[in-house]
Amino acid sequence: MISHRDNNTQRIAALDERAEALKLKRGMGIADARAMHPSIDVVEADAEADRRLLEGLADWCDRYTPLVAIDGEDGLFLDVTGCTHLFGGERAMQDEILTRFFQQGFDVRAGLASTPGAAWAAARFHGDRIVAGGEEEALLAPLPLSALRIAPETRAGLESVGLRTAGAVMAAPRAPLARRFGSTLLLRLDQALGRLDEAVSPRLPVAPLSVERHLAEPVMLTDDIERLVSRLAIALRTDLERRGEGARTLALLLFRVDGAVSRIAVGTSRPMREPRLIQRLFHERLTALEQSIDAGFGFDLVRLSVLSVAAFDLAQGDLTGDTADDDADIALFADRVRARLGEAAVLKPVIVESHLPERAVKAVPFAEAPQRRAPAAGRAAPPRTAPPMTVYPPERPVRLFRSPEPIEVPATEIPEGPPMNFRWRRALYRVARAEGPERIAAEWWRQLPGEEEAPTRDYYRIEDSEGRRYWLYRQGLYSSAAQAAPPRWFMHGVFA
Amino acid sequence: MAISAVARETVFALRRQIAKIEGTLPERLQAPAGSAAGAIPGKVRSGFPSGIAEKQISPHTAKSDMTILRHGLAVASADAFLHTGIDRLDTALGGGLPKAALSEIHGLETRDAGAVAGFALSLVSLILKEKQGLPILWVGTAEIFHEAGLPYAMGLHALFGIEPEQLLFSEAPKLLDALWIAEEAARMTAFAAVVLEIRGSPRLLDLTATRRLHARARNAGRPLLLLRQAGEADPTAAPVRLIVSAAPSASRETVAGPLAGSIGRPAFKVDIGKSRTALPGQFTLEWNPDEHAFAERTENSVAVVPASGRGADPAPAPGSVLAFPALASPASGDQPSRQQHPAHRSPRRAG
Repeated sequence: MISHRDNNTQRIAALDERAEALKLKRGMGIADARAMHPSIDVVEADAEADRRLLEGLADWCDRYTPLVAIDGEDGLFLDVTGCTHLFGGERAMQDEILTRFFQQGFDVRAGLASTPGAAWAAARFHGDRIVAGGEEEALLAPLPLSALRIAPETRAGLESVGLRTAGAVMAAPRAPLARRFGSTLLLRLDQALGRLDEAVSPRLPVAPLSVERHLAEPVMLTDDIERLVSRLAIALRTDLERRGEGARTLALLLFRVDGAVSRIAVGTSRPMREPRLIQRLFHERLTALEQSIDAGFGFDLVRLSVLSVAAFDLAQGDLTGDTADDDADIALFADRVRARLGEAAVLKPVIVESHLPERAVKAVPFAEAPQRRAPAAGRAAPPRTAPPMTVYPPERPVRLFRSPEPIEVPATEIPEGPPMNFRWRRALYRVARAEGPERIAAEWWRQLPGEEEAPTRDYYRIEDSEGRRYWLYRQGLYSSAAQAAPPRWFMHGVFA
Repeated sequence: MAISAVARETVFALRRQIAKIEGTLPERLQAPAGSAAGAIPGKVRSGFPSGIAEKQISPHTAKSDMTILRHGLAVASADAFLHTGIDRLDTALGGGLPKAALSEIHGLETRDAGAVAGFALSLVSLILKEKQGLPILWVGTAEIFHEAGLPYAMGLHALFGIEPEQLLFSEAPKLLDALWIAEEAARMTAFAAVVLEIRGSPRLLDLTATRRLHARARNAGRPLLLLRQAGEADPTAAPVRLIVSAAPSASRETVAGPLAGSIGRPAFKVDIGKSRTALPGQFTLEWNPDEHAFAERTENSVAVVPASGRGADPAPAPGSVLAFPALASPASGDQPSRQQHPAHRSPRRAG
C-alpha cells in the first residue's frame, strides 16, 4: 500500500489487490486504515520515481509508434494511426502490447478507438477493448460521468441535477449545459465522439524519417550494431534523396529486450546522406559510449531516425570521380570528433566587435560557426571575418589566458607606470623593458543599470630579463583616497 | 683516410639501428668515390626527407677535403622541405624542415609557451604561403590550454597572417583523446598543418605513438608539429627536434634609429636538439610580421660590445663547442673598425 500526503493528512494513494480485499479504499486516511488493519504495510509515494517509470515505458512504446504522449500520472497515449498493419492489425497489436507489458510485470489496461477520448474511456472502463469507428456513442452512453475526462466539480454538479451517465449528458440539450457547466464539458464530449479533432502532443519531436529493423535474435556486440546502422543508413539514403535533403541530426534508438531504451544522437555540421559517413559518426559515438551502454541481454529493435534535415546541395564531381572537397573533409572530421568528445571538441574563433580582449574573440563549436566557403573561380571573394586592417593595429598576444591570472607587483617605478618586477605563479620575474600603457575601459553600454562601473585596465607589454614577453594589466588606478583599494595586477597573455 | 673502417662500421651499425627504431629504411653512408650520384632514384619512398645533401662533417684534425656523403634511399626533392629562409639553419637541417613529417618543437619550461607557440606559428605561416587559405588545426590537452593559454586569434592574425576563420582548435580532455584527434587530423590533406601541443613527458607519447603520427603525416604529406612544453627529450620518431626559447627582442626601428626601451619583433632562440643531418647549432631568429619571414639575428641585441661587422656570421653561443669551423663564428676579439661600425648601432644598455 502506498500513502501520500494530501491536505496535511496521510492518505492512501494506491493499493494492491490484497489490500482491496480488506475493504480499504483509495483516499482513505492511513490512520483509519491502520485502525482497521494494524498489520498493513505502508510505503511513502514517490511521484518522481513514478514519473521516471512512466517515461521509461513511454520510451519503450516508441517501438510501436513515434507518437507517444504521457497522459496524467498513469496513462500513455499511443497514436497508432498507420502503424497497426506493421503488427498484424489492431487486435494483434493490442494483444502484443498487453502481453509484453504483462511479461514485464505490469498490470495494464488498453483501449483502442478512433478518438483519444473514446480510447481513454475504453481503456479505463473496459480494460481490453477495440472500438470500431462510429461506435463511440454506444461505448460511452452506459459509462459513468468520469469517463468523459471532466473536472470533479463539474461531475458533482451534473450528478446533482440527475445526469449520472455519459448517455444522459449526450441526450440533454446542449445550450443549457454549456451555460451552466462551461464549454469544457461539451468540448470533451465532442472530442470523444469525434465531432472535434483532438491533437495528442507527443512527448518527443517526431522524426521526419526513420528506419528500423526488428531482430529475431537480439544483438549485443557493438560491431553488430554498427553493421546494422550502416544497413539502416542505406535504406535511409533513398528517402533522403527523394526529398532532396540531408540529415543534420541523427538518432539511434536501441530497444533492449527487457524494455530499456538507449538513445544515441549525433549531429553533423553539414547535411549528410552517405551511409558510410553516417556509420563512421556512430562508430565514434559508440566507442565513446562503450562504457555507458549496457547491452544486457541484447537489443531486439534498432531504429535510426533523422531528427532534423536540411537541404542537400548536390555537388557535381569531375570525370575522374574524385571530388577533393576539403571543406567536406573537415566538416566530417569535426563531426567525428564531436561525436566522440562532445559538442565543444572542435572550436572555431569568431571575431566579435569589442575592444575587450577576452570578448573580442569568441570560440564557438564548429557546427555553429559560419561556414567557410572556398572562393570559386568567377565568384567574388567571401567577406572577410577578419578584423579590418588598421594602420597601427594594437599589439595582441598569441596566447590568452582563459581568465586573467593575478600577479603580485611589489613596486613600480612611478605610480601609474609598469612594474619593475612581478611574481607570477610563485616565480619572480625582473622586467627588462616595458611598453605601454594601452588603456582599455570597460564597456559601459553593456553594464546593467545600477551596476558599478568596472575599473579600467592599463595594459603593458613586458619583456623580462630572459626575453619572454608578457601582457600584463593593472586594474584600477592609484587613488589618493585612503579608503580606495589599491589597484591589482593581472597576467592576461603571452606574446611570441 | 682519417676515419678508420672500424669506426665507420660502428656508425653504419648504429644508423641501421636508428633506422630500425624509427621505422624507416636504413640510409647508406659512404665515402665519396669521385661521383656523388650514388643515390638510387628508383626507390623513392614518399619523399622521406633524408640524406638530401652532402654534408661536410670533417673534424678539425682531418684534412679539409675529407667528406662523408650520406645517401638515403630516397632522393628527396627540394619540395620536401620547408625552407625557413635562413640558409645556415636550412643547411644544418639538411635542406630545411621536412614538410611531410612529424617535427618536435620543445620548450624547456611552460613559461616559454609563448615563444614555442610563436615559433610554431611562424613555421605554419611559412607553410601557408604555399598553401593559401587552407585551415590549420591546433590540438591541445585541457591541461596545456589552462596552463599556457589558448591561441588568440587576434594576435595570430596580426603577427602571422592567419585569418581567424582559418584556425580551428580542439581541446581534448585527456591526452589519449588529443592523440586520437591528432592522428585523425594528420591523415587528412585538408589541413595545411596540424599542431599538437602537450605538456610534460607523458608515457603515452612514446616511440610507438609518435611513429604512428609520423607515418600518417608522411603519407598525407602534411607537417605535424608536436609542441612539447616543459618536456624532456624522450626518444621519438620525429626526425627533427628543435628546442625553442625566447630571445630578447630588438628595439623598434624608427626613422631616428632604434627606439630605446621598446620591444620590437618577436625573437626566438632555436637549438637543434635532434636532426638527421645532426649538426648541433644555435640560432637566434627574428620573425618579420610584415613580410612573414624569418631573419637571423646577426648581432646580439643585449651584448655590450658592438656587433660584428662581418655580416652574416653569428655571435657564438657562450660556452657551446662548435665542431665545425666552417659554420662557426669568427674568432672572438674581432672588433670592427670605426668605419665599419654602422652609425645606428650604438651600444645598448644591458637588459
